Formats: sequence, C-alpha cells, structure tokens
Amino acid sequence: MYSAAVLERVRNPRRVGEFPEGREDVGTGQSGTLDEGTTARIQVRAEAGRIVEARFKVFGCSAAIAAAGLVAEWLEGATVEEGRRLTPERVVAALTLPAERAHVARVAVDAAHRALDDVTEKAGRRP
Amino acid sequence: MIYLDHHATTPVDARVLEAMLPFFTEKFGNASSRTHRFGWEANEAVERARKQVASLMGASAREVVFTSGATEATHLAIAGGTAVAPAGRRHIVTVATEHKAVLDPCRQLAASGWTVTELPVAPTGLVDVDAVARAITPGTALVSVMLANNEIGVLQPVADIARLAHAQGALMHTDAVQALGKVAVDVATLGVDLASFSAHKLYGPKGVGALYVKRGVEKQLGAPVRGGGQERGLRGGTLNVPGIVGFGAACEVAGHEMQVEAHRVSALRDRLWQLLQERVGGVTMNGAESPRLPGNLNVGFAGVEGESLLVGLTDVAASSGAACTSAEPSHVLVALGLDKTGALASLRLGLGRWTTAEEIDRAAAHLADVVAHLRRSAPATRLAAAGASR
Repeated sequence: MYSAAVLERVRNPRRVGEFPEGREDVGTGQSGTLDEGTTARIQVRAEAGRIVEARFKVFGCSAAIAAAGLVAEWLEGATVEEGRRLTPERVVAALTLPAERAHVARVAVDAAHRALDDVTEKAGRRP
Repeated sequence: MIYLDHHATTPVDARVLEAMLPFFTEKFGNASSRTHRFGWEANEAVERARKQVASLMGASAREVVFTSGATEATHLAIAGGTAVAPAGRRHIVTVATEHKAVLDPCRQLAASGWTVTELPVAPTGLVDVDAVARAITPGTALVSVMLANNEIGVLQPVADIARLAHAQGALMHTDAVQALGKVAVDVATLGVDLASFSAHKLYGPKGVGALYVKRGVEKQLGAPVRGGGQERGLRGGTLNVPGIVGFGAACEVAGHEMQVEAHRVSALRDRLWQLLQERVGGVTMNGAESPRLPGNLNVGFAGVEGESLLVGLTDVAASSGAACTSAEPSHVLVALGLDKTGALASLRLGLGRWTTAEEIDRAAAHLADVVAHLRRSAPATRLAAAGASR
C-alpha cells in the first residue's frame, strides 16, 4: 500500500504540463522508456541560475507520478546546483516508496538532472 | 464507493443470511450425527439445500457434492478425475483463459508426467471448437473448459466441446462458477460430467461450493479429501451446514429472479459501455460483446498505466490484471493478444443485483475524470503510441 504522500500526488497532481522546448530559458530532460514501463519528462525554467518554474509529464505507476511531481516541487525555487544534489534516495524516503518501486525515483531524478544540464548548456551558449 | 467487482465476490443477500442464521446457534447440529434431533435437523437442512442447488443447475440432488468452495470442487474434478484414469489416458485438454483453479492443478499434473494441452483463444476470448476436436485424442482423460470467463465474461461453447470429449471417451468438466445464477445453466443440456460452483458468486456465503458429478461418474473419481465418508465418500469432512443452507437459499432466490435480473443488469452494463465510449474515449471492450455474462464489462483504456488507474479510482471498486506489487498482466487478457501495457490498462467492471443506474452514471463520470487526468499527465508520445483519441 502506498503512503499518503504518494496517494495525494496521484489524485491531485500539481505542476503537470510542459513549456515550449525551444525557449532559451527552458531545459528539458527525459528518462526511462515505455518498454520499461516508466517514462518521465521534466522541464525547468531558470532565471540567473535559479529555477523559477518546473513542469512534468509521466507515464508509469502511481509511484512514478508521485516521484516526478515531488521532484518538480523540489526544483521550483532551488538553484541549479541545489537541483543537481537531488538523489533518488531522498525521493524514496520522502514518499516512503516500497523497494520494488524504488527504480521510478531514479527515472524522475535522472530526468531532472538532464533538464538541469540542458538549461545550463543553453545559458552557456547565450552571449 | 460504488462496488463494481461482483465477479470477485457478492454481498450475501438478506434472505440468504436469514436462512443461515439459525444454523449457527439453535440448529447447530452436525449433519452426520444420526442419533439425535440436532443431527437430523442439520441433515434435513443440508438435503433441502442440495435440492435447491441441484434444481438451479438442472441436476438431481444426489449429483451434488458440497465442498469448501469452487477451488476445492475443481480440485476434486481434476485431481479426482485423473487419479483413477486408465493407464492409457494421461492427457488433459484445457484453455489458456481458464481460472488458476483449473490451470494450476493441470500444471501440477504436467509436472508429474501428464501431457497438458492449453488451447489458445481468439481475440474474442472464444476457443475454436475445431482446435478442441483436434486436441482431444483417445489418450485424453479429461477436458476442462469454463462456461463463463471470470475476467471477460464470455461464454464458451461447452456443449459442443462436451460432445467432442465424450466421442473420445474423456471426462468433461466445466468451471461454471461465474455462470450460475447469472445465466441459465443446465448440466444436462451442457452434457458435462463434472461442473464446479461457488455460493459467494451468487449472493451466498463464502466458504461453500459444489461439484456436480453426473450419476455414474463418481466411479471414475478419486477422492483427494478423505476421512469421515461424507458426500458419498467423495469429500470427507464435517459439512458446513450454515454455508450449505445459504448456498441453497441463494440458488432458490436466483432461480426466481435471474431472468429479470439478467435483463436489468445487462441494460445497465450496456449503458456503462455507452457512457465510457462517449465520455472517456480511447476505450476497447476486451473479449466478444456476445455471448457474455450480463454484468460483465472488461475495458481497456488507451494511454493510461493500469496501476495508476486503479490507485486513482477512489469512488469505484473494480479490479484489473494489475497487481500493485507484481504488475503482472492478466493471463486472460494476454491470451486475447493484448500486450503487457494494454492488459495492465484494463479494468474488469462487474455489475450486480443492487447496482443502480445512478451508480453507473457516477462510475462513468468518475472513470472519465481519472482517465482524463492520467492522460493529461502522460507524455504526448505515450498517447500517440496508444492511439488515444482524447
């Protein structure tokens, strides 16, 4: 059985959605495959090294939906560097995920790290 | 919470409960006690129930063997029906969509040297009668094909298959658990030798079932549960008198109400299907639309993940192939040709005696909300891959 933290995020998800990928201040990260049963996409919008907004899309079990939602929630307001320090273990602990669902936390965190890499790379390209 | 899981179990009808209650207290006798009125009273009640159960399935009372449930009844049919089979008959024919109560004992026999043929089904869920004919040989001891499927509700051509089994001298068993009390079941018309039934699927209590054993076939049955000689030596153990009384009462009620109820429930089921098509979209009915149990609808939802669909459902009690811990898809839906994702994203919706039109409308609205909400959360690639229309 899932924790209340998971159930709440499945039944009332916040930060579902997407930004246009082409925007220079938006970073996009994708992780997981449909074959594996879980795929997550996280987007961040950053201003001066700080994430001002985060959005997610996810296909997967309840734990995956909750993990992606929690990661997006944590990213908002954090600096890019703080975001990089996010670990799957923190997500597992915060949501009290059962062991057999722990891999979905990695999918969500990998997507977040890729989004941060993307937005950093775009910022580096800006004159 | 709207209960749409009547294939899993049904609530006990108040009339059934009322019939059962005295047999827990003042009429507590052991039906095998021959020396006093407590025993006689219990025995009379059991024999009355045996007639009620037999009547609903078109059998005679002496052809009904009470068990602890359908799994035990099926075990008696398969383990018992093969235990004393002639040496040249070491083959069983069954179907991939059978309940595990059939498949598991068959696989156990396979592990001890028997040959088991598990026939595939068409995407409708129906087995091809010609394929059954080709599978049955003079070496076949037993053929077991269910009457109504517990997940997709489709009704197999059991009477045709029984003729094929008998032409080769094999015993014919059917798991008729989901059919009894929902559609007309007549063991003589079906031509079966053995049929399993369960009380709690037709508003009776849990923990009681029966095996129909055609007169004369008992000589071809071994008895896996021995001791006490009850049930003509076919099933030892003190009889569950209150349960058996409840089973009888449930059959009596079903016999009177089944026809009207089937009509009402199938109309509600059709309404639910119509509403899901209109409000949810991207839905497919798993298995043939007909012939199917009146209260059954098995629906695949494109573009959603099965486990999150079940967790998201807060107002409807339904079931799916998705087990929260294992995420193994239903073997029945896989046998229809669904891939793992499609099988997991399917719900079995089972309507029953007290399901109302208002509940159906609310269930459809709730399902539409939950599915829309999950589809909004899913990446566009997933929706495109699933072909979801909304």
